[in-house]
This record gives sequence, C-alpha cells and structure tokens, in this order.
Amino acid sequence: MNRVVVTGIGLVSPIGSTCEKFWSALVEGRSGIGPITIIPTDRLNIRIAAQVLDFEPTQHFDAKRENMLDRFSQFAVVAARAAVRDAQLEFTEELALQAATIVGNGAGGMNTLDDSYYRLYAQNATRAHPLSIPRLMANAACSLVSMDLGLKGPTFTIASACASGSHAIGQAFQMIRLGQTPVALAGGTEACITVGTIKGWEALRVLSADTCRPFSRTRSGLVLGEGAAMFVLEERERAVARNAPIYAELLGFGMSADAADITAIDPDGAARAMRAALIDARINADDVDYVNAHGTGTALNDKGETVALHKAFGASAGRLAVSSSKAVLGHSLGAAGALEFAATALALHHQTIPPTANYEEADPDCDLDYVPNTARNAPIEKAMSSSFAFGGLNAVLVLGRA
Amino acid sequence: MAIIDDVRSIIAKSLNIPMERLTPESRLDELGAESLDVIEIVFGLEEKFDITIPLKADEATRLASAGKADGDGQNVPFSTVGDVADIVQKLVAAKASQ
Repeated sequence: MNRVVVTGIGLVSPIGSTCEKFWSALVEGRSGIGPITIIPTDRLNIRIAAQVLDFEPTQHFDAKRENMLDRFSQFAVVAARAAVRDAQLEFTEELALQAATIVGNGAGGMNTLDDSYYRLYAQNATRAHPLSIPRLMANAACSLVSMDLGLKGPTFTIASACASGSHAIGQAFQMIRLGQTPVALAGGTEACITVGTIKGWEALRVLSADTCRPFSRTRSGLVLGEGAAMFVLEERERAVARNAPIYAELLGFGMSADAADITAIDPDGAARAMRAALIDARINADDVDYVNAHGTGTALNDKGETVALHKAFGASAGRLAVSSSKAVLGHSLGAAGALEFAATALALHHQTIPPTANYEEADPDCDLDYVPNTARNAPIEKAMSSSFAFGGLNAVLVLGRA
Repeated sequence: MAIIDDVRSIIAKSLNIPMERLTPESRLDELGAESLDVIEIVFGLEEKFDITIPLKADEATRLASAGKADGDGQNVPFSTVGDVADIVQKLVAAKASQ
C-alpha cells in the first residue's frame, strides 16, 4: 500500500485564513466566537457564532463567477486554491486527469436556500433566481473546486453531518493508499449561519447563549461556526521526489455507525471508530500522544466522548493529551472535521499541542488531560482527530509526524 | 379543554399512545419518551400556548433516561404529565398577567 502525506493546507476560518493566523489563534486560545453580524438577528434567541468575517468574495471571484457560488462553495474554492499553492503543486494535464476531489459538507447552499425561500414565502416573489439549484445543490462546492482547478478525476461530495470533512479526508486517503489516484484535494466546507438554520438549531436546545467551553463543568452547549479546510493529500514517494513540504503523514482511518440515537453520542460507537483507526494505522493505543477531540461543548457529547476515549485507549487514556478546538473555531458542522484535521496536522508540524480554550472548571465526568487554556510544547509522534456526527456516524483519522 | 387535557393530548400524539393511558401521575420516562420526544413535546406545548418553556437538551436526556439502570434523574425540570401541566399552567398565567 502507498503511504500518504499532507503536502498542502488551505483554510477559510473564523480565526483567519492563512495557516499562520489560524495556528497562532489556536495556540493562544483566541476565540473566533462573537456576536452575529452577517445576518439579521432580530428573530434569533441565540446571537453568537464563529463567523468568517474577513472574507470578501470579490477579491477571489469575478462578478459572473461569484453569482454561481453560494458562500459554502466560495469557501471551498478559496481553500482549495490555497492548498494547491501551499503544496507548490503544478497540475499537468496527466495529473489533472487522475486527481480526486472529495469535499465533505453537512448541508449545501443554505444561504441560497434561505434567501430564495424568503423571497418566495415572505416577499411573495413569483420566480426564483435561475442559479438557485446549481448554487444550493449539495455537491456544488465539490464541483466548483474541480471546475476551478481543472481536476478531472474521481469527484464527489460526502455528507455525514459533523463527520463529513473527516469522512472526505479518510476516503481520499484510502484511494491514494490503494493507488487509485496519486493526488487528492480533500476537506470540508460549511456556511449555514442563516436565520433558518439557527432557528432549527435553537429548537434542538443544544446551543450555548454565551460561549463554547468544551469539557469544562461549566459548559453550556455548542456554538455554530463556518469555514472550510482543504488539503492536498499525496502519495508519499511522489511528494518526496518533488521536494514538497510535508506537514504530516496520514496513517489510519476508522469509521463506525452507532445505530442508536439520532442526536446523542454513543460511547460504544465512537470508541469502535477510534479502535478501527488505530488498527488501520497498525499502532497501539499507547503510541498516540494527542487527540484533537470532537469536543462540542454540550453536556452530553463531552461526557460521552470521555467515556469513549477510556473505552478505546484503556489504561493509556490517562497519558493522552486531549483538546478541543471548538472553543476557538465554533462548530462548523461539515467543515469541522477538516478544520480540526488542519489543527492536528499543524500540531504535529509544530510539535505543539493547542489548548482547550475557555476551560473553567474540572468536571468529574470529564477526567482526562484536556490541556486547559495554555498550549503545550511536547513531542508528538502520533495524533488522532475525531468526528462524531448526528445520525451516529463516526470518522476518526490517525496522523503521524512527517 | 383544561390545560391538563391539552398536555395529555400533545404527549399522547408525540408518543403515539392512547390519551386514556395518560394520568397526571404518568412518568414520561416510563411512557417510553426519548430525549427528542421530550423536546418535541415541549415544542408542541410552546406552539399550542404561545409560551417559552426553558429546557436544555441534556435535561431532556436525563429526564428520558431517569428510570434506566444507567439513568440520571437529577436536576430535571419535570418528570410526570402532571408536572408538565403545572409548568404550562404557570407560564400561561404569567403570560395572562402581563
């Protein structure tokens, strides 16, 4: 089997859209959560989110093209371009014919959907915009990345709610490993901070009204986010031969389904995905130094995920460093796994563990080392990034130092 | 219709059981309500009476699992059909006095 490495990272995030800005905010625990300003809030009970505020579409797209892209596609295309630049990768005609494009998103063009329905139902418009459907379809981001970069190999969208980004990266990893493609653009994107989406999340009663405090006894729920992270994944020998920068090596991918509750985490299902990822990577539990947790900041997830870590790692759980990036990034749903994969790859690259920000008090139900509030310089050889989705779909990736 | 009967009707519909089975003493967990059922019931009551019932998802989960072996019935805002009716009654009265 081929070895697979990460040679390019492209980001659009609430804490900045370069690797440098993203990493410094993560390490310093500077949160991207703030008052919602990108949509009207008069009908919202929850008025905070982690928004991408420094994104100006006209800097990236001409007017004609911009018209075709919902915000979630804009994020994906801009992140994909940045990943290719970062990887110093030139697509020859031959490579473009082989390259895979796999994008994870939980929803689709929700801004387009919201705007379109508002016009129809609230303003009694008689017709929808002709690009409504191509803008909002779930595969729009993936298709537009492939069109923008001219990539013509296997190209599709993976939708598994909050695990979409991780499933997409895992799928690309497996294809390169099996020799189905030498290079893949893979990651996740989401932009669903809309009135309709937030009202839906409010009704589930899992949103925090103040901020996200993963694993802290005082946690009060999750905070929605948005953004995209795209990666150039590459067959290792090829990357080494062209002297590409290598952030980390992808070692294993584990998946499972809970087949239980539609929203609540099932520690058994989550632990099975972690174990599967360790087995796939052919490593032992005590080889893992750091886990970038799903850590949503809800009472149930963080307790259930802690139980799952104990189940999967046994006695080794006590020596793990575990942190959640969601206090800083918010929960960007389908993009979350990808943004957190970036955090994990950069942790290996910089040999630094980003902290769990906003951590206030220990919770007896959450008894692991969550690296509270302060980053830690520590040797990291192997790391894990976990995503557990609504619908009970779990995806776990294991990475190694380059 | 008295508030208790509206409450029984909404709970019965959500749990797909005959309304006659519901007494004020019936416990939601024993009726088989799961976390999302509780959230749906509360939504139904909020819509019916135009009130806001404070409830977090984890409270709904504790409430639904209170009777199970690994359940935790601590700090739940209500347990029985009668408790729910009491809360609705208070919120409706508070709204009327505004």
